[in-house]
Amino acid sequence: MTNRYRSVFDIIGPIMIGPSSSHTAGAVAIGHVANRLFHAPIKEVVVRYFESFAQTHRGHGTDYAIISGVLGFDPADRRVPLAVDLARRQGLKITFIEDQGLSPIGHPNTAAVTLINAEKEITVWGCSVGGGTIEIRKVDLNGLIFTPQGPLPILFVEANQPIGAALDQLFGENYRRPRVTHQLADHYIYQLDLLDRPFPEQIDQARGMSQDLTLL
Amino acid sequence: MYETIADLVTTATAQHQPISELIIAQEIKLSHSSREIIWATMGKNLDVMIAAAKKGSSGQGVQSATGLTGREAVLMAKYRAAGKTLSGDTMLRAVETAIATNEVNASMGIICATPTAGSAGTLPGVLSVLTERLDLTRNQQIQFLFCASAFGMIVANHAMIAGATGGCQAEVGSASAMGAAAAVEVAGGTPQQCAEAFAMAMSNLLGLVCDPVAGLVEIPCIKRNVVGSVNALTCADMALAGLTNKIPADEVISAMKRIGQDLPTSLRETGLGGLAATPTGIEMKMKIFGEDVSIHAEEGPDEGREN
Repeated sequence: MTNRYRSVFDIIGPIMIGPSSSHTAGAVAIGHVANRLFHAPIKEVVVRYFESFAQTHRGHGTDYAIISGVLGFDPADRRVPLAVDLARRQGLKITFIEDQGLSPIGHPNTAAVTLINAEKEITVWGCSVGGGTIEIRKVDLNGLIFTPQGPLPILFVEANQPIGAALDQLFGENYRRPRVTHQLADHYIYQLDLLDRPFPEQIDQARGMSQDLTLL
Repeated sequence: MYETIADLVTTATAQHQPISELIIAQEIKLSHSSREIIWATMGKNLDVMIAAAKKGSSGQGVQSATGLTGREAVLMAKYRAAGKTLSGDTMLRAVETAIATNEVNASMGIICATPTAGSAGTLPGVLSVLTERLDLTRNQQIQFLFCASAFGMIVANHAMIAGATGGCQAEVGSASAMGAAAAVEVAGGTPQQCAEAFAMAMSNLLGLVCDPVAGLVEIPCIKRNVVGSVNALTCADMALAGLTNKIPADEVISAMKRIGQDLPTSLRETGLGGLAATPTGIEMKMKIFGEDVSIHAEEGPDEGREN
């Protein structure tokens, strides 16, 4: 028993452009996570596919789906099938790699999406578990490695002072311990695996004590 | 959260509530949303389903970019209109709707995944028949979708709903079982009858493999949705008539999961086995992609891997 599907709309939905909920809509979602964690102009995208994704990405529209997510499109956006051309016209360098090995995060529908510009590079390892629902099991933010348990929602918070205790208090029983902290010279990055969608007021409060916050 | 179908049935029976109401209450609690918003969101999903079915079966219909599939829902509509059918107009309405929806999906049109895009035609196929036969209101159609989602969520959390992890039994098999259960609810059956219909529908499709030609979601996916819809309707009728599955629904889900894990990689959405590996299937793939694009992933044991 997992609890990765928690909403009726994980089962009836999403509304999307075909052809595959796992290989298309889920792939949009993985690309979108990368986009949201990068939040800066992108110069280059490298997508590495594993297992079923490596075998069927062309037929299932996974290429345009991931790039749609990177561009911030909704899964039902009419531009989804055109995303690779649109992105290349915007000057993005895009590479797709079919990895012959098994998924490093243990799921046949795995993509590792790397976003690069002159200042930074991030990689998101996501898997599409079916029906458009995804998990994020590894994130590399400029060399800092996070390994969330997978199911969303996942919260990333950056602060220039330690706020771990405050986050514990704020989210109480609504996250799977332990939280992950990376301490850098001048700031801290926290990653929390949340159990349920947090209340908007909780996110507002967390944002108030941080420099940067991303709720996936 | 409701963790088993037995749990859903027991609670619904004790509270004299339909299963759809239990899942709506759970959704309100977990999403911090109001009933009105949740109901309206499901209504939008219904609108997308209706629009897709209409698009696929009217005018010239739709064709996929590869040209491999399309315009067959229109052929079915004409055949129905001529009136000389073997399985009767009701059943063929489900057939037409299921094909139309998945043709729209294959042509990169807008659909609602139920529970997946590859199986998006199954529930609409069932619902189109019920709407006509039982004269369902819009609210009853939305109720059908909530009930289906309650059953689907248990399958998704206990087993899988992706072809890559469980084969087509996890997609069309799950959709068909969800549709059977929800059909019983809107037809006035008991929660236990919903569970029986579910168990029969899923049992009937156990072992169904995912072998898409050229790695597309066209052949055989589109017509497998027909099987899903028709199976759902007949299983709902069996349950309403008092027939039972003998193996409980939760155990059928566990069996589906184990079968999915036992399926070789070639039959789990890799486009390497089954119909995809027939001479014609391979020729189609070569024609579309201009080369043999298959790579051969190492076959590894699935132990310790999640679904």
